[in-house]
Amino acid sequence: MQLHFTTRHDDHRIALLAALAISIHIIESAFPSPLPGIKPGLANVITLFCFIRYGWQTALQVSLLRVLISSLLLGSFLSPTFLLSLSGALLSLASLYIVQWPFRQHLKYQPTAIGYALIASISHICGQFLVAWYFFIPHPGLFKLLPVFITFAVLLGLLSGIITQLLINTDTAKI
Amino acid sequence: MKPEQKPDQQTLSSTFALRINGADLVILVLTIMLLFWVYNRLWFKQSSGKADYLVVQIDTQAPVQYPLNQKRLLELEGRKGKSIIEISQGKARFIHSACRNQFCVFHGWLSTPGDTTACLPNRISIAVKSHSVKDTEHFDALAGER
Repeated sequence: MQLHFTTRHDDHRIALLAALAISIHIIESAFPSPLPGIKPGLANVITLFCFIRYGWQTALQVSLLRVLISSLLLGSFLSPTFLLSLSGALLSLASLYIVQWPFRQHLKYQPTAIGYALIASISHICGQFLVAWYFFIPHPGLFKLLPVFITFAVLLGLLSGIITQLLINTDTAKI
Repeated sequence: MKPEQKPDQQTLSSTFALRINGADLVILVLTIMLLFWVYNRLWFKQSSGKADYLVVQIDTQAPVQYPLNQKRLLELEGRKGKSIIEISQGKARFIHSACRNQFCVFHGWLSTPGDTTACLPNRISIAVKSHSVKDTEHFDALAGER
């Protein structure tokens, strides 16, 4: 018996982008961070790129694949780290979708990559923070850390927004 | 005939072009407002809840509770010596401890539910809590119900 799959061009594109995102995620996890929870989040650049260029369906598939496969490769599948990663990814995509929804007919008025990146990074850290607070450290003192987290989210979100814009500017029609 | 463009410069300038539109500016302004609000709310403002009892834990003994509404001095014997804790008007603080760094003393008054300080050399930790503030500390996803 032979299994036969037919794949479309979209599938190849998602696979390629997910592979890129997974590589970035794993390379990034090798670097130490000053505070647990703060990392550059460069894998999010790929998600943002997918969202802006191909729409939320592609971005959702790519980011779910990234979270799942990189957790399997790093050995954190179904651990707290995985839950935090998943919640951040889902909430950031949901808020990107909510921001885009009123402008879906008017592409001209949509925010550019920098605006989307700010939204994505802030909602990512908020999602992670709420899950961490609700499930893992239910202590009100944890909220004293939130301003620090949001400050870093804004700075690193601007950085990833600029990188995403540069990625969109270059000729990527081949993907 | 148009003059021939220099291809390298063209691609470079278009690659590094960063355009920002009105929606981006709105998001940026909202972000900065959020930052101010978060700092103001969580760092520079006293929380509204009032603590009404003190939990003291010495070494591995069971924690002991004291009400915060009556003024008193607790003299506790820790591993290194004596620690003195003052309770007054809904607040509590270390006023003396038998340790070198005196971090517990410099921490000052504990008044908001959830505030905690400890003298690690002397193995004494104190925390102020409230009966009315919803406490979720007995649950976490790793250990289940504690």
